[in-house]
Amino acid sequence: MGKKFERTQIIIGFILFMAFLISIPFFASDYWMTLLVLILIYTVYASGWNLFSGLTGYTNFGLAWFIGISGYLSSILIADYQWFWLLAWPMGGLLVSILSMGVGYILLRIKGVYFAISMVALTEGTRELFGTGYLEPITHGGKGIPFVAGIRLPTLYWSILFLAFATVFICYKITSSRFGLRLVAIREDEQAAETLGIHTTKEKIIAFALSAFLVGLGGAIHCTYQNYIDPNYAFNIQLTLTPIVMTLFGGIGTVFGPVLGATLFTFIHEILWAELTLLYMAIFGAILMILILFFPQGLLGWMKEKGILPKIRKI
Amino acid sequence: MTNFLEILIRGLMLGSVYALVGMGLTLVWGVVGIVNIAHGEFVMLGAYFAFWIFSFFHLNPLISVALSLPFFFLIGTMIHKRITERLTNAPELSALILTFGMSILIWNLAQFFWTNTYRSVPYLTGNFSVMGLILAKSKTVSFFLALGITLSLFAFLKYSKMGKGIRATSQNSEVALVCGIDTKKMRALTFGMGIALAGAAGAIVSLQWVIFPQMGGSYVSKAFAIVVLGGLGNVQGALVGGFIIGVLESLVTQYMSAKMAQIIPSLIILIILLLKPTGLFKK
Repeated sequence: MGKKFERTQIIIGFILFMAFLISIPFFASDYWMTLLVLILIYTVYASGWNLFSGLTGYTNFGLAWFIGISGYLSSILIADYQWFWLLAWPMGGLLVSILSMGVGYILLRIKGVYFAISMVALTEGTRELFGTGYLEPITHGGKGIPFVAGIRLPTLYWSILFLAFATVFICYKITSSRFGLRLVAIREDEQAAETLGIHTTKEKIIAFALSAFLVGLGGAIHCTYQNYIDPNYAFNIQLTLTPIVMTLFGGIGTVFGPVLGATLFTFIHEILWAELTLLYMAIFGAILMILILFFPQGLLGWMKEKGILPKIRKI
Repeated sequence: MTNFLEILIRGLMLGSVYALVGMGLTLVWGVVGIVNIAHGEFVMLGAYFAFWIFSFFHLNPLISVALSLPFFFLIGTMIHKRITERLTNAPELSALILTFGMSILIWNLAQFFWTNTYRSVPYLTGNFSVMGLILAKSKTVSFFLALGITLSLFAFLKYSKMGKGIRATSQNSEVALVCGIDTKKMRALTFGMGIALAGAAGAIVSLQWVIFPQMGGSYVSKAFAIVVLGGLGNVQGALVGGFIIGVLESLVTQYMSAKMAQIIPSLIILIILLLKPTGLFKK
Protein backbone atom coordinates (compact mmCIF):
# COMPACT_ATOMS: atom_id res chain seq x y z
CA MET A 1 0.00 0.00 0.00
CA GLY A 2 2.65 2.45 1.11
CA LYS A 3 4.85 1.52 -1.79
CA LYS A 4 2.10 2.21 -4.33
CA PHE A 5 1.51 5.60 -2.77
CA GLU A 6 5.19 6.42 -3.13
CA ARG A 7 5.08 5.43 -6.76
CA THR A 8 2.19 7.79 -7.60
CA GLN A 9 3.99 10.53 -5.72
CA ILE A 10 7.10 10.02 -7.78
CA ILE A 11 5.12 10.05 -11.02
CA ILE A 12 3.26 13.27 -10.10
CA GLY A 13 6.49 14.90 -9.02
CA PHE A 14 8.13 13.89 -12.28
CA ILE A 15 5.25 15.26 -14.40
CA LEU A 16 5.35 18.59 -12.53
CA PHE A 17 9.11 18.75 -12.98
CA MET A 18 8.86 18.08 -16.71
CA ALA A 19 6.07 20.67 -17.09
CA PHE A 20 8.31 23.17 -15.34
CA LEU A 21 11.26 22.38 -17.61
CA ILE A 22 9.12 22.63 -20.75
CA SER A 23 7.62 25.97 -19.69
CA ILE A 24 10.96 27.58 -18.89
CA PRO A 25 11.34 29.45 -22.23
CA PHE A 26 8.16 31.42 -21.45
CA PHE A 27 9.57 33.20 -18.44
CA ALA A 28 13.34 32.65 -18.13
CA SER A 29 15.93 35.15 -19.32
CA ASP A 30 18.33 34.32 -22.16
CA TYR A 31 21.19 33.86 -19.71
CA TRP A 32 19.39 31.11 -17.81
CA MET A 33 18.27 29.54 -21.07
CA THR A 34 21.81 29.26 -22.40
CA LEU A 35 22.94 27.86 -19.07
CA LEU A 36 20.19 25.26 -19.19
CA VAL A 37 21.01 24.38 -22.80
CA LEU A 38 24.61 23.74 -21.74
CA ILE A 39 23.51 21.63 -18.78
CA LEU A 40 21.29 19.56 -21.05
CA ILE A 41 23.99 19.13 -23.71
CA TYR A 42 26.43 17.94 -21.07
CA THR A 43 23.76 15.69 -19.58
CA VAL A 44 23.52 13.98 -22.98
CA TYR A 45 27.31 13.69 -23.24
CA ALA A 46 27.78 12.42 -19.69
CA SER A 47 24.87 9.97 -19.82
CA GLY A 48 25.93 8.77 -23.24
CA TRP A 49 29.48 8.23 -22.02
CA ASN A 50 28.24 6.50 -18.89
CA LEU A 51 25.96 4.24 -20.93
CA PHE A 52 28.98 2.61 -22.53
CA SER A 53 31.92 3.23 -20.20
CA GLY A 54 30.10 3.18 -16.88
CA LEU A 55 28.47 -0.15 -17.63
CA THR A 56 31.16 -2.02 -19.58
CA GLY A 57 34.20 -0.57 -17.82
CA TYR A 58 35.89 0.29 -21.13
CA THR A 59 36.97 3.90 -20.66
CA ASN A 60 36.10 5.74 -23.84
CA PHE A 61 38.45 8.67 -24.32
CA GLY A 62 37.01 9.36 -27.76
CA LEU A 63 33.84 11.23 -26.90
CA ALA A 64 35.12 14.24 -28.82
CA TRP A 65 35.43 12.02 -31.88
CA PHE A 66 31.69 11.23 -31.71
CA ILE A 67 30.90 14.90 -31.23
CA GLY A 68 33.26 16.09 -33.94
CA ILE A 69 32.23 13.64 -36.67
CA SER A 70 28.53 14.17 -36.09
CA GLY A 71 28.94 17.92 -35.64
CA TYR A 72 30.88 18.14 -38.90
CA LEU A 73 28.38 16.20 -40.99
CA SER A 74 25.36 18.09 -39.65
CA SER A 75 27.11 21.47 -39.95
CA ILE A 76 28.19 20.76 -43.53
CA LEU A 77 24.67 19.66 -44.44
CA ILE A 78 23.19 22.81 -42.92
CA ALA A 79 25.84 25.24 -44.17
CA ASP A 80 26.67 23.90 -47.65
CA TYR A 81 23.53 22.02 -48.64
CA GLN A 82 20.92 24.15 -46.82
CA TRP A 83 19.38 21.17 -45.05
CA PHE A 84 16.72 21.70 -42.44
CA TRP A 85 18.33 21.35 -39.00
CA LEU A 86 15.92 18.71 -37.78
CA LEU A 87 16.95 16.47 -40.69
CA ALA A 88 20.65 17.26 -40.47
CA TRP A 89 21.05 16.33 -36.80
CA PRO A 90 19.98 12.65 -37.07
CA MET A 91 22.23 12.29 -40.13
CA GLY A 92 25.21 13.23 -37.94
CA GLY A 93 24.14 10.83 -35.20
CA LEU A 94 23.53 8.07 -37.71
CA LEU A 95 26.88 8.51 -39.43
CA VAL A 96 28.83 8.43 -36.20
CA SER A 97 26.97 5.40 -34.89
CA ILE A 98 27.63 3.50 -38.13
CA LEU A 99 31.30 4.53 -38.09
CA SER A 100 31.57 3.62 -34.42
CA MET A 101 30.37 0.11 -35.19
CA GLY A 102 33.36 -0.27 -37.49
CA VAL A 103 35.70 1.37 -35.01
CA GLY A 104 34.26 -0.69 -32.18
CA TYR A 105 34.62 -3.91 -34.18
CA ILE A 106 38.32 -3.18 -34.52
CA LEU A 107 39.22 -1.35 -31.31
CA LEU A 108 36.99 -3.03 -28.74
CA ARG A 109 39.22 -6.08 -28.88
CA ILE A 110 41.89 -3.96 -27.20
CA LYS A 111 41.54 -3.85 -23.46
CA GLY A 112 41.91 -1.25 -20.74
CA VAL A 113 44.38 1.54 -21.13
CA TYR A 114 45.23 0.62 -24.71
CA PHE A 115 41.62 1.11 -25.74
CA ALA A 116 41.57 4.51 -24.07
CA ILE A 117 44.80 5.53 -25.79
CA SER A 118 43.73 4.32 -29.20
CA MET A 119 40.52 6.34 -28.91
CA VAL A 120 42.58 9.43 -28.04
CA ALA A 121 44.83 8.66 -31.00
CA LEU A 122 41.79 8.32 -33.26
CA THR A 123 40.41 11.66 -32.09
CA GLU A 124 43.70 13.50 -32.40
CA GLY A 125 44.45 11.93 -35.78
CA THR A 126 41.02 12.90 -37.13
CA ARG A 127 41.44 16.41 -35.75
CA GLU A 128 44.75 16.87 -37.54
CA LEU A 129 43.40 15.25 -40.70
CA PHE A 130 40.38 17.58 -40.82
CA GLY A 131 42.70 20.55 -40.55
CA THR A 132 44.99 19.54 -43.42
CA GLY A 133 44.61 20.62 -47.02
CA TYR A 134 43.70 17.09 -48.13
CA LEU A 135 40.13 17.32 -46.86
CA GLU A 136 39.74 21.04 -47.44
CA PRO A 137 37.03 20.76 -50.15
CA ILE A 138 34.76 19.02 -47.64
CA THR A 139 35.76 20.32 -44.22
CA HIS A 140 36.94 23.82 -45.22
CA GLY A 141 40.28 23.01 -43.57
CA GLY A 142 41.44 24.63 -40.38
CA LYS A 143 39.52 27.87 -40.80
CA GLY A 144 36.23 26.24 -39.84
CA ILE A 145 32.64 26.68 -40.97
CA PRO A 146 30.53 29.51 -39.60
CA PHE A 147 26.83 29.01 -40.34
CA VAL A 148 23.34 30.08 -39.34
CA ALA A 149 20.79 27.32 -38.92
CA GLY A 150 17.82 29.63 -38.46
CA ILE A 151 16.73 28.05 -35.21
CA ARG A 152 15.48 30.11 -32.29
CA LEU A 153 16.74 29.54 -28.76
CA PRO A 154 13.46 28.14 -27.33
CA THR A 155 13.18 25.58 -30.16
CA LEU A 156 16.78 24.58 -29.60
CA TYR A 157 16.09 24.29 -25.88
CA TRP A 158 13.10 22.02 -26.42
CA SER A 159 15.03 19.83 -28.84
CA ILE A 160 17.93 19.33 -26.46
CA LEU A 161 15.51 18.85 -23.55
CA PHE A 162 13.80 16.08 -25.51
CA LEU A 163 17.12 14.49 -26.38
CA ALA A 164 18.39 14.67 -22.79
CA PHE A 165 15.17 13.16 -21.51
CA ALA A 166 15.34 10.38 -24.13
CA THR A 167 18.98 9.68 -23.27
CA VAL A 168 18.35 9.38 -19.54
CA PHE A 169 15.25 7.28 -20.20
CA ILE A 170 17.24 4.91 -22.42
CA CYS A 171 19.97 4.66 -19.79
CA TYR A 172 17.34 3.95 -17.15
CA LYS A 173 15.71 1.24 -19.26
CA ILE A 174 19.04 -0.33 -20.15
CA THR A 175 20.49 -0.45 -16.64
CA SER A 176 17.41 -2.23 -15.39
CA SER A 177 17.30 -4.63 -18.36
CA ARG A 178 18.99 -7.94 -19.07
CA PHE A 179 21.12 -6.17 -21.68
CA GLY A 180 22.41 -3.85 -18.95
CA LEU A 181 23.15 -6.84 -16.74
CA ARG A 182 25.18 -8.41 -19.53
CA LEU A 183 27.17 -5.19 -19.91
CA VAL A 184 27.87 -5.08 -16.17
CA ALA A 185 28.96 -8.71 -16.35
CA ILE A 186 31.50 -7.69 -18.99
CA ARG A 187 32.77 -4.96 -16.68
CA GLU A 188 33.14 -7.26 -13.69
CA ASP A 189 34.80 -10.15 -15.48
CA GLU A 190 34.82 -10.34 -19.24
CA GLN A 191 36.18 -13.87 -19.43
CA ALA A 192 33.60 -15.22 -17.01
CA ALA A 193 30.86 -13.41 -18.94
CA GLU A 194 32.04 -15.06 -22.14
CA THR A 195 32.07 -18.48 -20.48
CA LEU A 196 28.47 -17.94 -19.43
CA GLY A 197 27.50 -17.55 -23.06
CA ILE A 198 27.44 -13.78 -23.45
CA HIS A 199 28.54 -12.66 -26.89
CA THR A 200 30.75 -9.95 -25.39
CA THR A 201 31.96 -8.35 -28.63
CA LYS A 202 28.40 -7.98 -29.95
CA GLU A 203 27.08 -6.50 -26.71
CA LYS A 204 29.98 -4.06 -26.47
CA ILE A 205 29.52 -2.90 -30.06
CA ILE A 206 25.78 -2.36 -29.59
CA ALA A 207 26.36 -0.29 -26.44
CA PHE A 208 29.18 1.60 -28.14
CA ALA A 209 27.09 2.46 -31.21
CA LEU A 210 24.11 3.50 -29.09
CA SER A 211 26.35 5.72 -26.99
CA ALA A 212 27.81 7.16 -30.20
CA PHE A 213 24.36 7.88 -31.63
CA LEU A 214 23.13 9.75 -28.54
CA VAL A 215 26.36 11.68 -28.02
CA GLY A 216 26.51 12.39 -31.77
CA LEU A 217 23.02 13.89 -31.74
CA GLY A 218 24.07 16.02 -28.77
CA GLY A 219 27.19 17.07 -30.66
CA ALA A 220 25.18 18.08 -33.73
CA ILE A 221 22.88 20.23 -31.59
CA HIS A 222 25.89 21.66 -29.76
CA CYS A 223 27.49 22.80 -33.03
CA THR A 224 24.23 24.30 -34.27
CA TYR A 225 23.95 26.12 -30.97
CA GLN A 226 27.47 27.52 -31.39
CA ASN A 227 26.81 28.39 -35.08
CA TYR A 228 30.39 27.43 -35.78
CA ILE A 229 32.66 24.44 -36.17
CA ASP A 230 36.39 23.94 -36.67
CA PRO A 231 38.65 20.92 -36.05
CA ASN A 232 40.26 22.24 -32.88
CA TYR A 233 36.91 23.07 -31.42
CA ALA A 234 34.94 20.00 -32.45
CA PHE A 235 37.60 17.42 -31.61
CA ASN A 236 38.81 19.20 -28.49
CA ILE A 237 40.00 16.88 -25.74
CA GLN A 238 38.07 19.11 -23.36
CA LEU A 239 34.82 17.78 -24.84
CA THR A 240 35.94 14.29 -23.83
CA LEU A 241 37.18 15.21 -20.40
CA THR A 242 34.38 17.38 -19.09
CA PRO A 243 31.62 14.73 -19.38
CA ILE A 244 33.94 12.16 -17.80
CA VAL A 245 34.58 14.44 -14.84
CA MET A 246 30.86 15.12 -14.55
CA THR A 247 30.08 11.41 -14.53
CA LEU A 248 32.77 10.69 -11.95
CA PHE A 249 31.47 13.57 -9.88
CA GLY A 250 27.88 12.33 -9.94
CA GLY A 251 28.63 8.65 -9.74
CA ILE A 252 29.90 6.34 -12.48
CA GLY A 253 27.66 3.46 -13.53
CA THR A 254 24.51 5.02 -12.03
CA VAL A 255 21.55 6.37 -14.01
CA PHE A 256 21.16 9.78 -12.43
CA GLY A 257 24.78 10.35 -11.47
CA PRO A 258 25.70 11.90 -14.85
CA VAL A 259 22.61 14.16 -14.73
CA LEU A 260 23.50 15.35 -11.24
CA GLY A 261 27.14 15.74 -12.21
CA ALA A 262 26.36 17.69 -15.37
CA THR A 263 24.02 20.06 -13.52
CA LEU A 264 26.29 20.77 -10.56
CA PHE A 265 29.41 20.91 -12.65
CA THR A 266 28.00 23.38 -15.17
CA PHE A 267 27.26 25.76 -12.30
CA ILE A 268 30.73 25.25 -10.84
CA HIS A 269 32.11 25.88 -14.33
CA GLU A 270 30.11 29.12 -14.65
CA ILE A 271 31.37 30.45 -11.33
CA LEU A 272 34.98 29.39 -11.84
CA TRP A 273 35.04 30.65 -15.42
CA ALA A 274 33.72 34.03 -14.37
CA GLU A 275 35.91 34.44 -11.27
CA LEU A 276 39.12 32.56 -12.04
CA THR A 277 39.42 32.32 -15.80
CA LEU A 278 43.18 31.95 -15.84
CA LEU A 279 43.29 29.17 -13.28
CA TYR A 280 40.13 27.43 -14.46
CA MET A 281 41.89 24.45 -15.98
CA ALA A 282 44.17 24.01 -12.97
CA ILE A 283 41.19 23.81 -10.64
CA PHE A 284 39.51 21.43 -13.07
CA GLY A 285 42.57 19.19 -12.94
CA ALA A 286 42.77 19.37 -9.17
CA ILE A 287 39.10 18.40 -8.85
CA LEU A 288 39.74 15.44 -11.13
CA MET A 289 42.64 14.27 -8.94
CA ILE A 290 40.72 14.70 -5.69
CA LEU A 291 37.74 12.78 -7.09
CA ILE A 292 39.88 9.81 -8.11
CA LEU A 293 41.85 9.77 -4.86
CA PHE A 294 39.11 10.30 -2.32
CA PHE A 295 35.66 9.82 -3.90
CA PRO A 296 36.05 7.22 -6.64
CA GLN A 297 32.38 6.22 -6.41
CA GLY A 298 31.00 9.76 -6.87
CA LEU A 299 28.19 11.64 -5.18
CA LEU A 300 25.38 9.14 -5.86
CA GLY A 301 27.62 6.20 -5.01
CA TRP A 302 28.48 7.89 -1.74
CA MET A 303 24.80 8.53 -0.97
CA LYS A 304 23.99 4.90 -1.70
CA GLU A 305 26.76 3.78 0.61
CA LYS A 306 25.57 6.04 3.45
CA GLY A 307 22.03 4.73 3.09
CA ILE A 308 20.53 8.05 1.96
CA LEU A 309 19.47 6.38 -1.28
CA PRO A 310 18.52 2.72 -1.74
CA LYS A 311 21.18 0.51 -3.26
CA ILE A 312 19.40 -0.34 -6.48
CA ARG A 313 20.63 -0.23 -10.03
CA LYS A 314 17.67 1.88 -11.19
CA ILE A 315 19.15 4.98 -9.54
CA MET B 1 71.55 12.21 -51.87
CA THR B 2 73.28 14.40 -49.30
CA ASN B 3 69.94 16.03 -48.79
CA PHE B 4 68.31 12.69 -48.03
CA LEU B 5 71.16 11.74 -45.70
CA GLU B 6 70.76 15.04 -43.90
CA ILE B 7 67.04 14.43 -43.39
CA LEU B 8 67.82 10.95 -42.08
CA ILE B 9 70.39 12.27 -39.61
CA ARG B 10 68.05 15.01 -38.53
CA GLY B 11 65.42 12.34 -37.88
CA LEU B 12 67.81 10.27 -35.80
CA MET B 13 68.76 13.32 -33.73
CA LEU B 14 65.09 14.13 -33.20
CA GLY B 15 64.44 10.52 -32.33
CA SER B 16 67.11 10.39 -29.65
CA VAL B 17 65.26 13.05 -27.64
CA TYR B 18 61.87 11.42 -28.23
CA ALA B 19 63.36 8.13 -27.09
CA LEU B 20 64.41 9.72 -23.81
CA VAL B 21 60.82 10.80 -23.17
CA GLY B 22 59.48 7.42 -24.27
CA MET B 23 61.89 5.45 -22.08
CA GLY B 24 60.70 7.35 -19.01
CA LEU B 25 57.10 6.59 -19.85
CA THR B 26 57.70 2.94 -20.58
CA LEU B 27 59.70 2.45 -17.37
CA VAL B 28 57.01 3.97 -15.17
CA TRP B 29 54.25 2.15 -16.99
CA GLY B 30 56.01 -1.21 -17.00
CA VAL B 31 57.37 -1.20 -13.45
CA VAL B 32 54.99 0.99 -11.45
CA GLY B 33 51.92 0.12 -13.52
CA ILE B 34 50.88 3.75 -13.82
CA VAL B 35 50.13 5.27 -17.20
CA ASN B 36 51.46 8.75 -16.73
CA ILE B 37 49.62 11.15 -19.03
CA ALA B 38 51.35 14.01 -17.21
CA HIS B 39 54.70 12.75 -18.53
CA GLY B 40 54.77 15.42 -21.23
CA GLU B 41 54.25 18.12 -18.64
CA PHE B 42 57.50 17.11 -16.97
CA VAL B 43 59.24 17.57 -20.30
CA MET B 44 57.83 21.09 -20.30
CA LEU B 45 58.94 21.67 -16.70
CA GLY B 46 62.42 20.40 -17.59
CA ALA B 47 62.60 22.85 -20.46
CA TYR B 48 61.57 25.74 -18.22
CA PHE B 49 64.02 24.55 -15.57
CA ALA B 50 66.86 24.90 -18.06
CA PHE B 51 65.50 28.20 -19.32
CA TRP B 52 65.26 29.83 -15.88
CA ILE B 53 68.68 28.59 -14.81
CA PHE B 54 70.10 30.04 -18.00
CA SER B 55 68.37 33.40 -17.66
CA PHE B 56 68.93 33.88 -13.91
CA PHE B 57 72.34 32.37 -13.29
CA HIS B 58 73.71 32.40 -16.86
CA LEU B 59 74.96 28.88 -16.32
CA ASN B 60 75.92 26.82 -19.31
CA PRO B 61 72.77 24.89 -20.45
CA LEU B 62 74.80 21.69 -20.45
CA ILE B 63 75.13 22.05 -16.67
CA SER B 64 71.40 22.51 -16.31
CA VAL B 65 70.84 19.28 -18.23
CA ALA B 66 73.05 17.56 -15.65
CA LEU B 67 71.25 19.32 -12.79
CA SER B 68 67.82 18.45 -14.12
CA LEU B 69 68.37 14.73 -13.56
CA PRO B 70 68.68 14.76 -9.73
CA PHE B 71 66.18 17.62 -9.41
CA PHE B 72 63.40 15.84 -11.29
CA PHE B 73 64.31 12.53 -9.70
CA LEU B 74 63.51 14.06 -6.31
CA ILE B 75 60.29 15.62 -7.59
CA GLY B 76 59.24 12.30 -9.11
CA THR B 77 59.82 10.25 -5.98
CA MET B 78 57.98 12.86 -3.92
CA ILE B 79 54.98 12.82 -6.25
CA HIS B 80 54.93 9.05 -6.09
CA LYS B 81 55.14 8.94 -2.28
CA ARG B 82 52.44 11.57 -1.85
CA ILE B 83 50.01 10.80 -4.65
CA THR B 84 50.43 7.95 -7.07
CA GLU B 85 51.43 5.34 -4.49
CA ARG B 86 47.81 5.25 -3.35
CA LEU B 87 46.86 3.87 -6.74
CA THR B 88 49.13 0.81 -6.65
CA ASN B 89 46.21 -1.59 -6.40
CA ALA B 90 43.52 0.58 -7.99
CA PRO B 91 42.33 -0.13 -11.54
CA GLU B 92 44.67 1.07 -14.27
CA LEU B 93 42.11 3.57 -15.48
CA SER B 94 42.01 5.47 -12.18
CA ALA B 95 45.67 6.28 -12.69
CA LEU B 96 44.92 7.33 -16.25
CA ILE B 97 42.30 9.84 -15.15
CA LEU B 98 44.34 11.01 -12.16
CA THR B 99 47.40 11.77 -14.25
CA PHE B 100 45.19 13.47 -16.82
CA GLY B 101 44.10 15.80 -14.03
CA MET B 102 47.71 16.27 -12.99
CA SER B 103 48.67 17.13 -16.55
CA ILE B 104 46.00 19.83 -16.82
CA LEU B 105 46.91 21.20 -13.39
CA ILE B 106 50.60 21.48 -14.26
CA TRP B 107 50.28 23.13 -17.65
CA ASN B 108 47.68 25.58 -16.49
CA LEU B 109 49.82 26.59 -13.51
CA ALA B 110 52.78 26.99 -15.85
CA GLN B 111 50.66 29.13 -18.14
CA PHE B 112 49.49 31.21 -15.17
CA PHE B 113 52.94 31.90 -13.78
CA TRP B 114 55.05 32.01 -16.93
CA THR B 115 52.45 33.16 -19.52
CA ASN B 116 52.07 31.80 -23.01
CA THR B 117 55.12 33.58 -24.38
CA TYR B 118 57.35 31.42 -26.57
CA ARG B 119 60.82 31.26 -25.07
CA SER B 120 64.12 29.73 -26.03
CA VAL B 121 67.64 29.33 -24.75
CA PRO B 122 69.97 31.10 -27.18
CA TYR B 123 72.94 28.78 -27.01
CA LEU B 124 75.08 27.07 -29.63
CA THR B 125 73.55 28.71 -32.65
CA GLY B 126 75.19 27.98 -35.97
CA ASN B 127 76.09 24.87 -37.90
CA PHE B 128 78.75 22.22 -38.17
CA SER B 129 79.81 21.13 -41.60
CA VAL B 130 80.90 17.50 -41.68
CA MET B 131 81.75 15.86 -45.00
CA GLY B 132 79.46 18.14 -46.93
CA LEU B 133 76.59 17.66 -44.46
CA ILE B 134 75.29 20.71 -42.64
CA LEU B 135 74.24 19.94 -39.08
CA ALA B 136 72.94 22.39 -36.50
CA LYS B 137 75.33 22.65 -33.56
CA SER B 138 72.62 22.60 -30.90
CA LYS B 139 71.01 19.48 -32.38
CA THR B 140 74.28 17.60 -32.63
CA VAL B 141 75.17 18.36 -29.03
CA SER B 142 71.66 17.38 -27.93
CA PHE B 143 71.95 14.12 -29.80
CA PHE B 144 75.11 13.13 -27.96
CA LEU B 145 73.69 14.27 -24.63
CA ALA B 146 70.56 12.18 -25.14
CA LEU B 147 72.62 9.21 -26.26
CA GLY B 148 74.88 9.55 -23.22
CA ILE B 149 71.94 9.56 -20.82
CA THR B 150 70.39 6.60 -22.63
CA LEU B 151 73.56 4.54 -22.40
CA SER B 152 74.02 5.30 -18.71
CA LEU B 153 70.43 4.26 -18.12
CA PHE B 154 71.03 0.95 -19.90
CA ALA B 155 74.18 0.36 -17.87
CA PHE B 156 72.39 1.24 -14.65
CA LEU B 157 69.52 -1.14 -15.34
CA LYS B 158 71.81 -3.94 -16.42
CA TYR B 159 74.67 -3.87 -13.93
CA SER B 160 73.74 -2.00 -10.76
CA LYS B 161 72.06 -3.77 -7.88
CA MET B 162 69.21 -1.29 -7.89
CA GLY B 163 68.71 -1.69 -11.62
CA LYS B 164 68.44 -5.44 -11.17
CA GLY B 165 65.90 -4.85 -8.42
CA ILE B 166 63.87 -2.66 -10.74
CA ARG B 167 63.94 -5.24 -13.50
CA ALA B 168 62.93 -7.95 -11.06
CA THR B 169 59.99 -5.84 -9.86
CA SER B 170 58.95 -5.29 -13.44
CA GLN B 171 59.07 -8.98 -14.31
CA ASN B 172 57.23 -10.32 -11.28
CA SER B 173 56.64 -8.03 -8.36
CA GLU B 174 55.40 -10.76 -6.00
CA VAL B 175 58.36 -13.06 -6.49
CA ALA B 176 60.67 -10.06 -6.23
CA LEU B 177 59.10 -9.24 -2.87
CA VAL B 178 59.62 -12.81 -1.70
CA CYS B 179 63.29 -12.58 -2.73
CA GLY B 180 63.76 -9.67 -0.38
CA ILE B 181 63.50 -6.80 -2.83
CA ASP B 182 61.74 -3.75 -1.44
CA THR B 183 59.32 -3.44 -4.37
CA LYS B 184 57.64 -0.38 -2.89
CA LYS B 185 60.95 1.44 -2.84
CA MET B 186 61.78 0.18 -6.33
CA ARG B 187 58.50 1.59 -7.65
CA ALA B 188 59.21 4.97 -6.08
CA LEU B 189 62.73 4.95 -7.54
CA THR B 190 61.43 4.03 -10.98
CA PHE B 191 58.81 6.74 -10.89
CA GLY B 192 61.54 9.20 -9.96
CA MET B 193 63.75 7.93 -12.78
CA GLY B 194 60.95 8.23 -15.30
CA ILE B 195 60.30 11.83 -14.29
CA ALA B 196 64.05 12.53 -14.30
CA LEU B 197 64.29 11.25 -17.87
CA ALA B 198 61.38 13.47 -18.92
CA GLY B 199 62.94 16.47 -17.17
CA ALA B 200 66.33 15.91 -18.76
CA ALA B 201 64.68 15.47 -22.16
CA GLY B 202 62.95 18.80 -21.57
CA ALA B 203 66.22 20.50 -20.69
CA ILE B 204 67.69 19.13 -23.92
CA VAL B 205 64.64 20.23 -25.89
CA SER B 206 65.08 23.80 -24.65
CA LEU B 207 68.45 23.89 -26.43
CA GLN B 208 66.93 23.41 -29.86
CA TRP B 209 63.29 24.46 -29.96
CA VAL B 210 61.02 27.14 -28.52
CA ILE B 211 59.30 26.24 -25.28
CA PHE B 212 55.79 27.08 -24.06
CA PRO B 213 53.44 25.76 -21.34
CA GLN B 214 51.38 23.50 -23.60
CA MET B 215 54.29 21.82 -25.37
CA GLY B 216 53.88 18.64 -23.29
CA GLY B 217 50.95 17.28 -25.29
CA SER B 218 52.89 16.61 -28.46
CA TYR B 219 55.66 14.86 -26.52
CA VAL B 220 53.32 12.62 -24.61
CA SER B 221 51.56 11.46 -27.77
CA LYS B 222 54.92 10.63 -29.33
CA ALA B 223 55.97 8.88 -26.14
CA PHE B 224 52.85 6.74 -26.27
CA ALA B 225 53.58 5.80 -29.86
CA ILE B 226 57.11 4.87 -28.77
CA VAL B 227 55.87 2.70 -25.90
CA VAL B 228 53.42 0.95 -28.20
CA LEU B 229 56.15 0.42 -30.82
CA GLY B 230 58.77 -0.82 -28.40
CA GLY B 231 56.49 -2.87 -26.20
CA LEU B 232 55.41 -2.07 -22.67
CA GLY B 233 58.31 -1.71 -20.23
CA ASN B 234 60.91 -2.44 -22.91
CA VAL B 235 63.56 0.27 -22.64
CA GLN B 236 65.69 -0.86 -25.59
CA GLY B 237 62.53 -1.13 -27.67
CA ALA B 238 61.72 2.45 -26.71
CA LEU B 239 65.08 3.63 -28.03
CA VAL B 240 64.44 2.00 -31.41
CA GLY B 241 60.86 3.27 -31.35
CA GLY B 242 62.12 6.77 -30.73
CA PHE B 243 64.43 6.59 -33.73
CA ILE B 244 61.61 5.26 -35.91
CA ILE B 245 59.28 8.08 -34.90
CA GLY B 246 62.00 10.70 -35.33
CA VAL B 247 63.01 9.53 -38.82
CA LEU B 248 59.40 9.18 -39.97
CA GLU B 249 58.58 12.66 -38.70
CA SER B 250 61.61 14.13 -40.45
CA LEU B 251 60.78 12.37 -43.75
CA VAL B 252 57.09 13.27 -43.72
CA THR B 253 57.82 16.88 -42.82
CA GLN B 254 60.19 17.09 -45.76
CA TYR B 255 58.20 15.28 -48.42
CA MET B 256 54.57 15.90 -47.39
CA SER B 257 53.82 18.60 -44.82
CA ALA B 258 54.49 19.46 -41.19
CA LYS B 259 50.78 19.06 -40.50
CA MET B 260 50.82 15.47 -41.77
CA ALA B 261 53.80 14.74 -39.52
CA GLN B 262 51.57 15.47 -36.54
CA ILE B 263 49.33 12.54 -37.51
CA ILE B 264 52.16 9.99 -37.39
CA PRO B 265 52.05 9.16 -33.66
CA SER B 266 48.29 8.57 -33.74
CA LEU B 267 48.57 6.48 -36.89
CA ILE B 268 51.38 4.35 -35.44
CA ILE B 269 49.48 3.75 -32.21
CA LEU B 270 46.40 2.58 -34.11
CA ILE B 271 48.28 0.40 -36.60
CA ILE B 272 50.55 -1.28 -34.04
CA LEU B 273 47.77 -1.92 -31.54
CA LEU B 274 45.74 -3.56 -34.28
CA LEU B 275 48.45 -5.66 -35.88
CA LYS B 276 50.87 -6.44 -33.08
CA PRO B 277 49.70 -5.18 -29.68
CA THR B 278 52.79 -6.55 -27.90
CA GLY B 279 55.10 -4.16 -29.76
CA LEU B 280 57.67 -4.84 -32.44
CA PHE B 281 60.25 -6.52 -30.24
CA LYS B 282 60.25 -9.57 -28.04
CA LYS B 283 61.29 -8.72 -24.54
